[in-house]
Amino acid sequence: MEQAENPGRERILERVRNALRETAPKHAPPASSGPIFAPVANPFDRFQKECAQNLTECVVTSDMGASAAAVGEVLASIPAGEIFVQEAPELRRMVPLWQGGRSIRWSSEGGPIEASQATITLAEALVAQTGSVFVSSGCGGRGASVAAPVHIVVAAADQLVPDLDAAFARLRERGAQEKNSMLCLITGSSRTADIEKILVMGAHGPRRLVVVLALRAVPSRD
Amino acid sequence: MSTPAQEFLRNAAIKSADLAHRRTIRTGIDHYEAAVGRTGSRFNDWEAARQRIHEIKWEAVNHLDRYLLEFETRLKARGGHVYWAETAEDARRYIADLAARNNVRTVVKSKSMVTEEIDLTHTLEEKGVTVFETDLGEMIVQLRKEPPYHLMTPAMHLTRAEIADLFREKLGGVESDDPQHLVSVARRALRKAFFSAEMGISGANFLVADSGMMALTTNEGNGRLGSSLPRIHVAVAGIEKVIPRMEDLAVIWPTLARSAVGQPIACYNTLIGGPRGPNETDGPEEFHLVLLDNGRSELLADPEQREVLHCIRCGACLNVCPVFRKIGGHSYGTVYGGPIGSVLMPHLGGLNKFQHLSYASSLCGACTDACPAKIDLHHHLLQNRRNAVRSADRPASERLAFKLWRWTMMGSERFAFFAGVARGLLRAAYGLGLARTPLDPMRSWTKVHAAPAIPAKSFRALWKEQRGAS
Repeated sequence: MEQAENPGRERILERVRNALRETAPKHAPPASSGPIFAPVANPFDRFQKECAQNLTECVVTSDMGASAAAVGEVLASIPAGEIFVQEAPELRRMVPLWQGGRSIRWSSEGGPIEASQATITLAEALVAQTGSVFVSSGCGGRGASVAAPVHIVVAAADQLVPDLDAAFARLRERGAQEKNSMLCLITGSSRTADIEKILVMGAHGPRRLVVVLALRAVPSRD
Repeated sequence: MSTPAQEFLRNAAIKSADLAHRRTIRTGIDHYEAAVGRTGSRFNDWEAARQRIHEIKWEAVNHLDRYLLEFETRLKARGGHVYWAETAEDARRYIADLAARNNVRTVVKSKSMVTEEIDLTHTLEEKGVTVFETDLGEMIVQLRKEPPYHLMTPAMHLTRAEIADLFREKLGGVESDDPQHLVSVARRALRKAFFSAEMGISGANFLVADSGMMALTTNEGNGRLGSSLPRIHVAVAGIEKVIPRMEDLAVIWPTLARSAVGQPIACYNTLIGGPRGPNETDGPEEFHLVLLDNGRSELLADPEQREVLHCIRCGACLNVCPVFRKIGGHSYGTVYGGPIGSVLMPHLGGLNKFQHLSYASSLCGACTDACPAKIDLHHHLLQNRRNAVRSADRPASERLAFKLWRWTMMGSERFAFFAGVARGLLRAAYGLGLARTPLDPMRSWTKVHAAPAIPAKSFRALWKEQRGAS
């Protein structure tokens, strides 16, 4: 579609430029200040602790084989129905270990459907500071991680970074913000505090977020 | 017809006497304060975080043209459309035309104050489009045909029982007033809409200049669904929402979450840059970002108050405000309520119309202390008062009264004389039993306060006597 005519653009920019002829004062920094967040000493412990607090289920396994078995256990606990899976070689390899009788819809076949029972994806990074998972549209698409009631993330320990600064550095290094139309830092499963400011899990997104974290056997990326 | 100031006074008087309302707000704010208390320890140095937010926003707002152009260039390179809207009307027309051109019948909307500011939903509904508010709080107030009560928690004024009754009437399938159950009722009601809507509309918490992506924070995941599933995604953002770098979010996201709801970080912090990419399997085919001025460039032209554009709309100043806690969010009669609304509305809606809000404050400064962007809110209220007196229509009698007051206060003997006259008259009136009657000269005070005992002697006289005695 052609861009609609937009005569307001130049007028707004003109007003902004005129408005900024005089600089606004700046608040002085506090007399003494330390780092905004304390450095994360042990990322692995911190990640698990944060997950416990934000109600992410974190399952630590020895390697990707054990991770496949762990995914199978999670799937055994949810109702029968289709599973939406990110198209990735490492996830393809795992299928025989957990599929059972379930039908799979791969992200290469299109977006998630309303009836999907769970989504399985990889992640761009895990963040210890907040117990979060960084995903991108490369992880099964834009809707994948929120469309189904359960989101299972298959990850490895070398994807874990200590804090948000390190997470952005990693994304930048890989050009993730250029390659993807969407990036999302997911912390826990969907929730709301809109009724009497009481926290309730499972609003529109997943009720359960499960991170299956393998200590060894790095999934090959790209 | 009554003026906004008269309506405000009437509504504030009614609401502050509504004890059930006060209890509901108290409950909500108690939960908020407890959550903020728990989250506070995540920050090693909260003051350093506030300073960083101030510096990020100062840099962006004071070089707004440069960062907006950088953002626009990068977003367009990603295949997104950018529309610059000078006014609310301009923005509404662009989005309504877009919806009409694409035969949009259903819109799923994420929570967004700027779309309230431009009154977008009504415009779309008039054109026959069904608009689903998908944030739970927004959905509740939409069903009640009310505006949002609070920037962050739109249904803060309602109890679970009231929400259960509302859902029972409008949605059905309500078995209890347990919040968990009510959330699942809402989820069921909106599920179909998400998967069938042709257009998703959201706000944007930040526009990241160096990557051409907008940042959207939600807890429910509704923003993710609304920006992924429909064929068109439209985001509306004030021009002040831009920030220089993606890395700035490493401080902004946890700070916003703490100030807004007392969480360490929100559930879904999303960056969206354009429609689905060439190698992507899903996502909207079209992405439109509407940049809204609507009075912001005029506020920008005032260096003294420019930092009001640093606001990240967390709502912390509302929660701590003793006035908001008593009169509630609807009494203001404005899109933006609480201290930030009282500062902002005279700029967005006209000084004359909204100058009374500058007095909806005890000037206690709790808002300024709570602001994660260090906006000097209560001083901006004072500046608005000053500007109103300078430029707006004030009665000549008021000007004369203040001239006389100044003249009296500037002379020690004059002050003593007039104070003595006033004290004598008031003692005489109260001696006649006029206290708290319509003839009480202090009527506007004594209407809601006990009448003070008027002393026989002035402070000066007592001072002279007692110092003389010692």
